[in-house]
Amino acid sequence: MSVLLDVQDLTVQFTLPRQGLFGPRPVLEAVRQVSFRLEQGRALGIVGESGSGKTTAAMATIRLVEAASGKVIFQGEDLLQLDDAAMRQRRRDVQLIFQDPYSSLNPRARVADIVREPMDLMEIGTPEERRARVTDLFRLVGLRPDQLSLFPHQFSGGQRQRISIARALTTNPKLLVCDEPVSALDVAIQAQILNLLARLKAELGLSYLFISHDLGVVRHVCDDVAVMYLGKIVEMAPREALFDTPQHPYTQALLSAAPSLARRKSRGYVRPVKISGDPPSPINPPKGCAFVERCPKAQDICRRVQPLLESRGQNRVACHFPG
Amino acid sequence: MSALLEIENLRVAFNTRHGEVTALDSVSLTVNAGETLGVVGESGCGKSITALSVMGLIPSPPGRIAGGAIRLAGEDLTRVSEARMRALRGAELAMIFQEPMTSLNPVFTVGDQIAEAIMLHQKVGHAQAFRDAVALLDRVGIPSPDRRARDYPHQLSGGMRQRVMIAMAVSCRPRVLIADEPTTALDVTVQAQIFDLLNEIQRDFGAAIILITHDMGAISEMADRVAVMYAGRVIEEADADDVLDHPQHPYTRGLISCIPALGKGDTELREIPGVVPPLHRLGAGCAFAERCAHRNGRCDSGKPLLVNHGHHPAACHAVQEGRI
Ligand SMILES: Nc1ncnc2c1ncn2[C@@H]1O[C@H](COP(=O)(O)OP(=O)(O)OP(=O)(O)O)[C@@H](O)[C@H]1O
Ligand SMILES: Nc1ncnc2c1ncn2[C@@H]1O[C@H](COP(=O)(O)OP(=O)(O)O)[C@@H](O)[C@H]1O
Ligand code: SF4
Ligand code: SF4
Ligand SMILES: [Mg+2]
Ligand SMILES: [Mg+2]
Repeated sequence: MSVLLDVQDLTVQFTLPRQGLFGPRPVLEAVRQVSFRLEQGRALGIVGESGSGKTTAAMATIRLVEAASGKVIFQGEDLLQLDDAAMRQRRRDVQLIFQDPYSSLNPRARVADIVREPMDLMEIGTPEERRARVTDLFRLVGLRPDQLSLFPHQFSGGQRQRISIARALTTNPKLLVCDEPVSALDVAIQAQILNLLARLKAELGLSYLFISHDLGVVRHVCDDVAVMYLGKIVEMAPREALFDTPQHPYTQALLSAAPSLARRKSRGYVRPVKISGDPPSPINPPKGCAFVERCPKAQDICRRVQPLLESRGQNRVACHFPG
Repeated sequence: MSALLEIENLRVAFNTRHGEVTALDSVSLTVNAGETLGVVGESGCGKSITALSVMGLIPSPPGRIAGGAIRLAGEDLTRVSEARMRALRGAELAMIFQEPMTSLNPVFTVGDQIAEAIMLHQKVGHAQAFRDAVALLDRVGIPSPDRRARDYPHQLSGGMRQRVMIAMAVSCRPRVLIADEPTTALDVTVQAQIFDLLNEIQRDFGAAIILITHDMGAISEMADRVAVMYAGRVIEEADADDVLDHPQHPYTRGLISCIPALGKGDTELREIPGVVPPLHRLGAGCAFAERCAHRNGRCDSGKPLLVNHGHHPAACHAVQEGRI
């Protein structure tokens, strides 16, 4: 299988406002030496708690946020080295859908214009061809062409997400970045959108970088999964290996925290792994393992030495005491 | 013996630009001390309005309680004075919301706010109330509670703010604690902590808990009994195991089978097509009919009642006719 995207040591820093009048400007490292590969036609899930750097990593990958260092090899060339004109050409290959189908659609535009806009901007096809493509896409995502002249507020949340998906597909992208695409939707509607995304992936051979905090959703959609904690990938594995044999204590905690129909109050379940507290601040992260304050297995060495990603079976895990 | 809290045939109406709409219709629910009732359903189905009715907090106008009763230990809350309701809120009934920031005052420290809540219902001075507040913060698992009590809400993480809300809600040991999607804004590891905390608090002093959620997984972990709501009605109600293992109503079946489970991948999810209809478009028939694969002529002409057809109560003609 061919590698579509090969991200190497990606690091993103934000310089924050000065604290006080003469204080230094603190630097927040939102993404710290993140590396992953995405093969053509596959979906890589990124999970982790709020603030762990999922969105920033994805945005830096497609150059919507500036990276401090690293490489993003997309179809053989490093996107981070491209000049603006060359990058604009690549934009048609990478598209994006967001969590909030409400705020990401212009409320004053008709949905036909919204879906056509990327083709207009990139001057793809004749006006006739563009119109025809919009109609095809509308059908493809499960909307009716007679709804094309309506405005976004005349659609439900799930339908609006279908519109964003249609818009993202207009340029025939190879990579679709999906940032929490179903988090704002009710479960019944979530299922509709997840089935649609699965169908599009199979039919169009799309690759997904799929961000979600919902492990069930990720298990459903993704072939491979990366778990982020405080800007770093702490575990990465093919889906089954990650869910069935998680190696990192944080992955284990996430899995045991996610509510599940298999755990029943009447049967007196006890959470297998419990962790306390919140993630630490990304400003001045701990010197050793970032998870040390919350980890049930932490030892002295964890405080001093940062664990690196190492292979363990099919998993790659950054922990001194995996398993 | 009658239950601690009994909602009977509750009807709540709102004046809207589409005329008067019925947000809750014939809602009957009970909760006993020491028990957790899970209320589940898609957004707009009436979960929050049910909670606000119990708390006496329906915005009026445009809303009003148009019928039925809400009895707390026999006392009908729909008939008591606003002064009596104020006395009950906090002392006997407490509620925690999805976004704690909306119910915390940004300009007072969290310790002062909890102390204030205590002094409202108990005859203690500020110093004692503040000491109690610190003890409560400790109880809900806030590290360095002495120091944190002097923090303002914005200085705390989302999870800590929700703990503060819980501390405030339980400060007077209410008999009924309503939690309306208390963890929706939180990460799963923090959600797990909040769920465990609610369970401990219930064991400590036997409160009845009404947990409102759209997450069947949360229901499974937390609830003793479950009420499923759809378009302002309770459409199925039973012990959690019955509802989860033998869902009757097509909507409940759909809600359970459309969850992408942790245990499996790849298979196509069962969908519930369509969306919840808006209140002003509810007709004479079953509100779920447009989305239902089992609909027949009867479903369009009359609303199915919540009756027990054998297994447990479900409001569906097909279930009652033995068609599914
Ligand atoms: N423009 C910015 N300026 C400063 N800090 C930022 C900026 N964008 C993100 N951050 C910080 O970078 C870190 C990672 O944020 P990011 O949005 O990538 O997290 P996330 O994993 O996507 O979280 P969520 O699940 O909440 O969406 C956070 O600490 C965040 O506060
Ligand atoms: N102030 C209001 N005016 C008119 N309708 C309202 C008002 N508040 C709630 N409703 C309607 O009542 C129904 C139930 O709402 P709610 O209880 O908030 O649902 P949920 O189950 O998501 O908590 C919804 O259709 C909502 O639009
Ligand atoms: S390195 Fe140590 S602290 Fe970090 S996850 Fe592993 S055991 Fe826990
Ligand atoms: S009453 Fe009819 S339409 Fe309603 S849920 Fe039952 S079978 Fe479906
Ligand atoms: Mg994000
Ligand atoms: Mg609600």
